[in-house]
Amino acid sequence: MALLDFGAAVARRRPRAAADGLLVRLLARPSAVVGLALLAIVLVAAAGADRFFPEDPLAMVALPLLPPGEDPAFPLGTDMLGRDIAAGVFHGARVSLLIGVVATLVSLVIGVGIGALAGYYRGALDRALMRVTELFQTIPPFLFALAIVAVLQPSIPTIVGAIGVTSWPSLARLVRAEVLKLRTSEMVEASIALGAGDARIILRHILPNAAGPILVSASILVATAILTESSLAFLGLGDPNVVSWGGMVGAGREVLRTDWYVATLPGVAIVIAVLALNLLGDGLNDALDPRSGRR
Amino acid sequence: MARHFGVGSRLARGDGHGGSAIAQTLRFASVALYAWSFLRFAAGAAVIAALLLIATRVSAAEPKAGGTVTAIIQPEPVVLTSALNSAAPTGTVSGNIFDGLVDYDFDLKPRPALATSWETSADGKAITFHLRPGVTWHDGTPFTSADVKWTLENVWKKIHPRNQLTFAKVTEVETPDDLTVVLKLSQPSVAILSSVNSNGAQVLPKHLYEGTDVLNNPYNNKPVGTGPFVFKEWKKGEYIALERNPNYWDKPKPYLDRLIFRVIPDAAARAAAFEKGEVQYGVLSPVPLKDAKRLAELPTLKVETKGYEWLSPFLFIDLNVDNPQLKDVRVRRAIAHAIDKAALARIVWFGFGEPASSPVPSTLKAFHDPAAPAYAFDTKQAEALLDEAGFPRGAGGVRFTLNHDYIPYGDDYKRSAEFIKQALKRVGVEVNVRTQDVPTYTKRVYGDRDSDVALTWFAAFSDPQVGVTRVYNSASIGKNIPWTNGSGYRNPEVDALISSVQGEADPEKRVADFRKLQQIVLTDLPTIPLVELKFFTVHAAGLKDAVTTGDQVYGSLKNAWFETAPAQN
Repeated sequence: MALLDFGAAVARRRPRAAADGLLVRLLARPSAVVGLALLAIVLVAAAGADRFFPEDPLAMVALPLLPPGEDPAFPLGTDMLGRDIAAGVFHGARVSLLIGVVATLVSLVIGVGIGALAGYYRGALDRALMRVTELFQTIPPFLFALAIVAVLQPSIPTIVGAIGVTSWPSLARLVRAEVLKLRTSEMVEASIALGAGDARIILRHILPNAAGPILVSASILVATAILTESSLAFLGLGDPNVVSWGGMVGAGREVLRTDWYVATLPGVAIVIAVLALNLLGDGLNDALDPRSGRR
Repeated sequence: MARHFGVGSRLARGDGHGGSAIAQTLRFASVALYAWSFLRFAAGAAVIAALLLIATRVSAAEPKAGGTVTAIIQPEPVVLTSALNSAAPTGTVSGNIFDGLVDYDFDLKPRPALATSWETSADGKAITFHLRPGVTWHDGTPFTSADVKWTLENVWKKIHPRNQLTFAKVTEVETPDDLTVVLKLSQPSVAILSSVNSNGAQVLPKHLYEGTDVLNNPYNNKPVGTGPFVFKEWKKGEYIALERNPNYWDKPKPYLDRLIFRVIPDAAARAAAFEKGEVQYGVLSPVPLKDAKRLAELPTLKVETKGYEWLSPFLFIDLNVDNPQLKDVRVRRAIAHAIDKAALARIVWFGFGEPASSPVPSTLKAFHDPAAPAYAFDTKQAEALLDEAGFPRGAGGVRFTLNHDYIPYGDDYKRSAEFIKQALKRVGVEVNVRTQDVPTYTKRVYGDRDSDVALTWFAAFSDPQVGVTRVYNSASIGKNIPWTNGSGYRNPEVDALISSVQGEADPEKRVADFRKLQQIVLTDLPTIPLVELKFFTVHAAGLKDAVTTGDQVYGSLKNAWFETAPAQN
């Protein structure tokens, strides 16, 4: 325990060493291992989509509504237009991960930027930025994203933008709290004494030390973004030119009573991806929290 | 304008546009409902099926009086008077409260209703209707020629979207006596007789409307008609209740005691309600297409595609003739060759449609030209035409890219767009499908003309003058008049034909004109007819004579009767 505390203390000063220790501690947690394993499956599916299914996943390749297992060439069956569901699930992994990661990056840039500025400078700027954040927080993020996509019309960039623009407020508040805490730490005061500029202090000293909570948040944000994209596609606000899990579920809904697999199989894929990221997030949270080891 | 038909019902079946997105989230909940209703259904199914088997054996030919029909109305209408609003749900309810001057049989021949007979003068410039004696409004006031005259002059010619054009040539309405109406015309107007049912030309009671603000008259929502059912109650968001009209002129009809229109917004829940026997009647494809097949196999239900003959709806794409590639007729023909219409009808529309060869659907037997140029599914021919037009396959096998906008009325239309995307991809034309809401769609296609390929459906109606000529009339191009000429096609010869059929009295000459029109537009191909849509009605097997006219969708259930009382009611 003392060792762990020591490790955490070291982590503050030596991020690289922290990363090694982090992985070790992460692998010690079953939920994180399961999360990583599931995520690996999704990553393999996304990376290997072109190799396993070189055809256009939107191509109509077989009889419509072929049940899984009926034809070995289409192990997961086909949908109402005769599109290969397995190809859709694999290629859909790409779209879902792409949207999840890019939307999270957008959210990170906005959230970390606003949080860091507000926490570091405090005062009037803090108050102004936090009012803006609260304004965004008063609108339910999903409905907000729905409205943006409906107005701008659905395409990958608008969906990514809408999710990113609506999911940053919680991150901004988290970062602000971390920055406020670190702002008064001895190392920051030492940096100021050494004459370091604000930018250097924020980017080199404060943010790396707040990386833990941000990382945990980000992993959850990716999961949320995947879910949001799926929900949008389910409601018909997906990009109709790419295959996406939510779009597949939405399209299969009409035949749920007669052909359950069309909506269910991509639904399982969504569950796997979101569960993986949530487990990983939990694991990271535990691993990064020095006190959790005592539990 | 006739485009208003069917708007709502398509919306409700799971469309993807933002306007109703919130309502759609409710659909998540319907999954649970599915499971629950299925269990309940399974328990009772065997018993009901057995009873029905016995019941159908002893089928009685004589209609039996009594019983309540619970019907689906989707979406809830805004107003209950078709004379003012041509929306589909309004027509479905209103047709039971009002009679038309005529109704139409399955061959679209007018049959007497409020008018017992009618004749057109030799020069075609006068149409006389002889009205049925002894008909009273639901409040007891006699129905007379004054009602027809007043409605024509004040409602059809001023408010009704299609009738402003249909009755445009009427210069004077004479009422020599209480039971005779004579329309004086500046030019022959043959189309009038194709649109005088209770939906096309609904007569309102003059004594309740004269001198009032017609659009805000309180009777619009508690209508007083002459029809088989009397308006009783409208509980917003729940149901509209009608009761049997005991003084109906066509005795002993109606047979039913009551007619309740229930509002069930979720398509899946509607299917479950039919299965449980909670509802016995629903028009305009009230359940998901795939469910229709399943429901049709149940002994308790019937799925009927008759009763829509008067609409003759057809699905087609407008090709923007101002587009740099599409302005070449060879490219347009290539696209026609690239789309397998039979597969589109079979796969996307689950067989609820037939491949269309002409903008005048084959259901309009007199006007449809089976000899007009046709474009068989032939991808080789399509590729050859595209090569010939100077668009060889480039990098990645792509010749060029087109934007495709589909009418956002539901998943069926979205899947049609995806089908077209795949079909054109096969011949090297990349298609970018765009999703949007209805106003954005109509502005894009009919206003900004910013669409390359636009998918939509029109009702042709029983005279193509009413529903088809608007597709090619150049007067409306780019004026943001929804459901008109979306391709931007201008052909003086076609415009001349269109104005010729409007004032032509000789039926043979009109048929010849329409055939010529089909020859020209199918040669130039600014639009590609795809599928003759078949909407369907779902009704309980025990409900007999539910579909008896070619305009049944907006007609009345006056002929319907229960052979077997509904299982649950």
